[in-house]
Amino acid sequence: MNTSPKVLVVDDDAVVGRSFDRVLSQKGYAVSTALSGPEALNEISGKDFDVVFTDIKMPGMDGFEVTKRIKEKCPWTPVVIVTGYGTAANEATAEVLGVSGFVRKPLTPEMIEGITLKALHEKEAGEAAPQAAEAAIEPRPEMAETSVWKTVAGITKNTALLLAAPFVGLVYAVSLPFVGLGLLAWFGGRALVRRYKAG
Amino acid sequence: MTRLYLNPLPVRIWHWINATGFVALIVTGVQVRYVGLIGLMSFETAVDLHNWIGFVVIGNYFIWLLFYLSSDKVKAYHPDLNPRKYFRETFRQMLYYGGGIFKGAPNPHHPNPYNKFNPLQRMMYQIVMLLIVPVQFVTGLLLWDVKRFSGAVELLGGVRVVDTIHVLVFIFFAFFIFVHVYLGTLGHTPTAHFKAMFTGYEDMEEEPGS
Repeated sequence: MNTSPKVLVVDDDAVVGRSFDRVLSQKGYAVSTALSGPEALNEISGKDFDVVFTDIKMPGMDGFEVTKRIKEKCPWTPVVIVTGYGTAANEATAEVLGVSGFVRKPLTPEMIEGITLKALHEKEAGEAAPQAAEAAIEPRPEMAETSVWKTVAGITKNTALLLAAPFVGLVYAVSLPFVGLGLLAWFGGRALVRRYKAG
Repeated sequence: MTRLYLNPLPVRIWHWINATGFVALIVTGVQVRYVGLIGLMSFETAVDLHNWIGFVVIGNYFIWLLFYLSSDKVKAYHPDLNPRKYFRETFRQMLYYGGGIFKGAPNPHHPNPYNKFNPLQRMMYQIVMLLIVPVQFVTGLLLWDVKRFSGAVELLGGVRVVDTIHVLVFIFFAFFIFVHVYLGTLGHTPTAHFKAMFTGYEDMEEEPGS
């Protein structure tokens, strides 16, 4: 498959979109993000997405409304709810809307990849092309070439940070009481000055 | 209730072998040190057991080390290089342990596999796992065969210095185990953290979020 699978992440917290982008871009996906429902619908109107992830609680338009509108326009696009508010009632509502998944925050990179693969597999299966799903998720060749260097660089960085960690920890441990006393003196002093001025 | 996979299998294997080994090392170490006071086993048996278990624990440490060196979950042990953020989070955690926990306040730290320790735990485990444990291994190894490692022993100031460091670290670990077990009971249920160290999964309490 020549084109990367396209993923849309809808969340008013930009950090969530960045997390998905960081994890999935490395795996060969094209990730778009939207900070609100209207922005997501605008994206959807101009592009076909292979999977959409949406938060529930967002200002203006919530994730359920976003899901409903997407399903009206492109019923074949899998929508996955990603929420920190995973109540049974929300899950039931999501099921009625025909979502492909309902997952709770926080998500690990493995979970992000796993649910994306699952949603894509379901989409491909729905289109009666079971093998295409495997091909769609394969990393692109240029990414495989750089992955060795990334691994080596990653191990080197990990080792360096691990070697530094206990000494940074010791510095923090030793300075902790002084910082605590300093903060106490600062806030205590400010409170005293304020009281003196008020009196 | 959300479940998070916080403790991968190699970490759980390492943890329980390490826990058993540490208890056995403490018991045999006490027997070696206080040979006239305690009569659990003969001095020779205690020394042999202490040496063998010591090597098992050293080997086991490399399961932990190799796992983390080859996994991005090592971020849990990375130092926080932003002191402002570190101290803010540390004092927040201290306030929780010092008061909030007794009033049912939520834990300010929300773990995930890449940040499973709160700032106090992170600082403690960085120092313990990457400094104190290796120091204990090295001093133990030197004391195991003083003649063979005589050069290194002399470099460190002699057998008495090496032995004193080994015993001081032993005392630290003997107390650390009690604190570790007590803190292990401070999950959302008293057994939650213990279960997580068997199953790998930690149950997270639901909190209203976005």
